[in-house]
Amino acid sequence: MLWLRYEHMFASVSHLQPRPTLDPKLLARVRPVAAASARVLPVAPALESLFGSRGLQRGSTVRITAPRGGGGSTLALTVLSAPSAAGHWCGVVGMADPGVAGMVGLGIDLRRVVFVPAPGTAWASVVGELIDGADMVLLRCDQQVAHPIARNLVAKARDRQVTLVIVTSTPQQWPLPSDVELSISDATWSGVDGGYGHFVSRRATVSASGRRGAVREHIAALWLPSSDGAVAAADW
Amino acid sequence: MDRLVAVCSPELTEEGSRGEELRSFAAVLHGLGELCPWVEPIKLGLAVFPVRGPSRLLGGDHAVVAAVAMAMSAVQPAVVVQIGVAPGLFAAQLAARRGVVVAEQDLMEFLAPWPISVLGRPELASVLPRLGLRTLGQFAELHHREVFSRFGADAAVCLQVAQGKVGELSGLRDPSIGRRLRSLTARVSPLPNQPTFLGGMGLADERLHAVARRLQAQLGAESVMVGYDHGGRSPIDQASLVPFGSHPVPTNSTAPWPGKLPSPSPMTVFCDARAVELLGESGLPVVVDGSGLLNAAPVACALNGGSRRVVINWAGPWPLVEQWWETLHHRARLQLLIEPATAVLVAFEENSWWLEAVYD
Repeated sequence: MLWLRYEHMFASVSHLQPRPTLDPKLLARVRPVAAASARVLPVAPALESLFGSRGLQRGSTVRITAPRGGGGSTLALTVLSAPSAAGHWCGVVGMADPGVAGMVGLGIDLRRVVFVPAPGTAWASVVGELIDGADMVLLRCDQQVAHPIARNLVAKARDRQVTLVIVTSTPQQWPLPSDVELSISDATWSGVDGGYGHFVSRRATVSASGRRGAVREHIAALWLPSSDGAVAAADW
Repeated sequence: MDRLVAVCSPELTEEGSRGEELRSFAAVLHGLGELCPWVEPIKLGLAVFPVRGPSRLLGGDHAVVAAVAMAMSAVQPAVVVQIGVAPGLFAAQLAARRGVVVAEQDLMEFLAPWPISVLGRPELASVLPRLGLRTLGQFAELHHREVFSRFGADAAVCLQVAQGKVGELSGLRDPSIGRRLRSLTARVSPLPNQPTFLGGMGLADERLHAVARRLQAQLGAESVMVGYDHGGRSPIDQASLVPFGSHPVPTNSTAPWPGKLPSPSPMTVFCDARAVELLGESGLPVVVDGSGLLNAAPVACALNGGSRRVVINWAGPWPLVEQWWETLHHRARLQLLIEPATAVLVAFEENSWWLEAVYD
């Protein structure tokens, strides 16, 4: 109590002291980075050739098509990496056994990602709930989605300005056209040879198309991932 | 034959949909680990450890049983635990059902009144009673050679078990239990909030917390998870999911792990056991031999009961020398590149291959 009174007494002096300098890293972390009014979400540098450097429109839909085990998870989680690192909340629905160490390698901030690994038949309502709380929702769908359910989710995401990322193995599983369509082809792994070496990197071709100017018509070669675990642009 | 303490919890043997049984069983094992370092999980709800050391330390078998009961009531007060001591795994798990301590010389007497069905062999359980043999005691009076020629090698092993000459019977152990327990590395405590940056909560954080808690109320606490990086050698050890709102065990993930799998890490890591069939050139199964090498180059594989696919290339095997003092089995890991261009990680354990991860 006594200390408080003294503090009060010297209040006029204290403002003359220089303000303590904060660690820039700490400042970057406490700053309200995820301003809800921001119209775009950041994208990872490796994906700039697909999305442009402007970023990813809030409220848009991204559909990623890749055969199972063909890099769909890597590409989809890379889309989440920059927003999560910038402090946006992300939800991941239906990815039953996510490799958390791999996600760290992609640059995802795990503190900003919530998983609903096995939503079962309630998946659509789980996605709907997460659209209420997160800035980006990733949905892995392995079966045919009914047209009205897809339409409802897309409409709700657009209304709440939440970006929806859908990962499918065939384009027919998600019945609506998306703002951004990414598909992976020609994946090749390097590094293993007759018992020697280990998986080092996967090179794949990603083609992007879309509507409403959300994306450039573009075909890019990417390391999915490169040897350090992150996704990077590859030379042709 | 070593005398074993069997600790069995009938409530935990049936697996529910949310995995709480596995978590409770892990807590039971942890509690037993405080008493004896040699605790071995046999299957969900059943664990054994040798009685000799603890018995000498605590002063008798009954003192060990009392200590186990006390430890269990401290760890899992809600779970009913049965404890028994007998020579060999088969007799020990039966002794746990009765809650008795069986001495070496009383083994035959203890086994004799049990019905044939406890052997877990439906064909023997239907044939032998029709021949007038209803109990293990009556079965044990047969001759080994005759049982072998009439019913085959497996029945002959059953006879030796009934005679108290052999302690182990195939089918008692669940080969996947060790892998599943290792995948459970998180401790759950009911904390209301997921701690965020500097412990503070913004508006967006509060919105997400409300949604996550609503989902947990609907679908169960383990339905909404967050990722947690522990550090470790295998992808399963390295990182796992913990329920949203729980406090994970803090470890330093930047610590070096010699023998860790090289980067990049797989994007899909399976916690449950998925069997893999791996075949060589001649169509024979590929195994890891005593020197840690493959007996043949892998040519085809079938993942988790699926169709056969061609193996394009592979790397490894890398022997696993973790906890070599506990297990006599050869364990190793192998990376496979299978058609069309899928990269997977498989592990050799308990003489079979298991799918560990996919580089999706």
